[in-house]
Amino acid sequence: MNLPISVILRIIVVLVLAFPTLARASETKAEGEQSGGFNVTELLLHHVLDSHDWHIVDIPTGGGKYFTVSVSLPWLLYDSEKGLKFFFLHGHTPEELNASAAEHGYQIDGHGHIASLTGANVVDLSPTKTVLHILMVALVMLLLFTRIASAYKARPNQAPKGAQSFFEPLIVFIRDEIAKPNLHGKHAAFVPYLLTLFFFIWFANIFGIMPLNSNIAGNISVTAALAVLTFVLIQFNGTKDYWGHIFWFPGLPVPLKLLMTVVEIVGLLTKPVALAIRLFANISAGHFMVLALISLIFLLGKQGQSVGGALGILPLSLAFSLFILTLEVLVAIVQAYIFTLLTAVFIGQAMESHDHAEAGH
Amino acid sequence: MEIILPKFGLFFWTLVVFLTVFFLLKKFAWGPILKALNDRETDIENKLRSAAEAEARMKTLTAENEKILQEAQSERAKILKEAGELKAQIIAEAKKEAQAEAAKELANARRVIESEKAAAVAHIKQTAVRLSIEVAEKVLRYELADKTKHEQFATQLVNDIRLN
Repeated sequence: MNLPISVILRIIVVLVLAFPTLARASETKAEGEQSGGFNVTELLLHHVLDSHDWHIVDIPTGGGKYFTVSVSLPWLLYDSEKGLKFFFLHGHTPEELNASAAEHGYQIDGHGHIASLTGANVVDLSPTKTVLHILMVALVMLLLFTRIASAYKARPNQAPKGAQSFFEPLIVFIRDEIAKPNLHGKHAAFVPYLLTLFFFIWFANIFGIMPLNSNIAGNISVTAALAVLTFVLIQFNGTKDYWGHIFWFPGLPVPLKLLMTVVEIVGLLTKPVALAIRLFANISAGHFMVLALISLIFLLGKQGQSVGGALGILPLSLAFSLFILTLEVLVAIVQAYIFTLLTAVFIGQAMESHDHAEAGH
Repeated sequence: MEIILPKFGLFFWTLVVFLTVFFLLKKFAWGPILKALNDRETDIENKLRSAAEAEARMKTLTAENEKILQEAQSERAKILKEAGELKAQIIAEAKKEAQAEAAKELANARRVIESEKAAAVAHIKQTAVRLSIEVAEKVLRYELADKTKHEQFATQLVNDIRLN
């Protein structure tokens, strides 16, 4: 397992490109999809939302035609009548997709929601664009950190070298500054989880900044999954005191105890919800900002009809989007840090046992 | 609105992939890495401690060396002092012996001289007696030629005897 990073990256690119139906050449797109021409809202949502194909770029080939570089991804459904279904759909526009889905007995609306024509319950488990990107992040993490681990095994008790020296301070930081102070001496059991969480969010954010039309942690589903794991960890590590505070708050008259139970249960849920929304909002906001700033060029350029307008806004738009992108690099690690830190803090709070009678909270 | 509604598929796959990555990394990456870090930390700690111990040992060793050196020096000084004393004693004894020897020699010499002197005196006395007898004989022989004088002398001798 001594592959250099560049080789790992090449392997990922080859894997992605080997995925079925890569580039659909020369496809006619509905010219100026809406009458107003350029629709910023649609562009932003199209980028930030998950989809069933990885649409990387459209290269104009003249005459209103485009060479579309995209990766079509399969559909995987759990159908209450037919069990698991796995198929590819053809086409790009909602109409084409719907027609293709009809062959399999399904219909798709404009938002990519799939439903059975027979009225059966359908659960969409498709490996979408974001799932593919998560897998890529996972692959990078697995290759990178097993490689670093073997470097530690190869050179025991020696100073770190190469990638080791870059990641060691981060690993030690998470162990000593996030896990140790918050987890009351039981940190050793949680350090691997916190490390995975931190690097997963960070790498996903970095992946989202790269111009690959990727958005991982800007999906509420992704951040919700991570928050649910945090929620489960908090409850599984709750002490008697923790549950006592929730269901029978000590040192209060009974009516207030009942009121506090409601408040505490709300508090129980707000923690993971806040985690999920914070990460999602921060990352998608960054994407929106950059896309909106870039879109200004096309808005003021009126789809190529006003070159002066496009050129006028260009420097400003690029300068601002460069600023936001640079900020996003910082936000990428800061949000990973915050999510990891708060996970450790919440678990630590649930693990606390209060020896003193508390007057109030 | 769609943007803030979680989708089950993505939620499900995120859980699956994340947990898989977590368990794989825990076993194959974080476990070995954290263990290596801990091992290295304890190794460094141990090495620092043993270095401190070695330093302390060196210090006591140096102190001991100094003590040994001082002891050796004082020993040397003692030996030198003793040797000096011994020397003085030997010289003094030798002197005393020499003096005694000299005194004995002197006494011997004196005794020899005394005896030689006594012998010489005796010899002188004998010679004086013989000479005086010879003189007396010669005198007598000369004196006895005259009768009166002879009588006179005899009388005188008798008188002398009386006096004695």
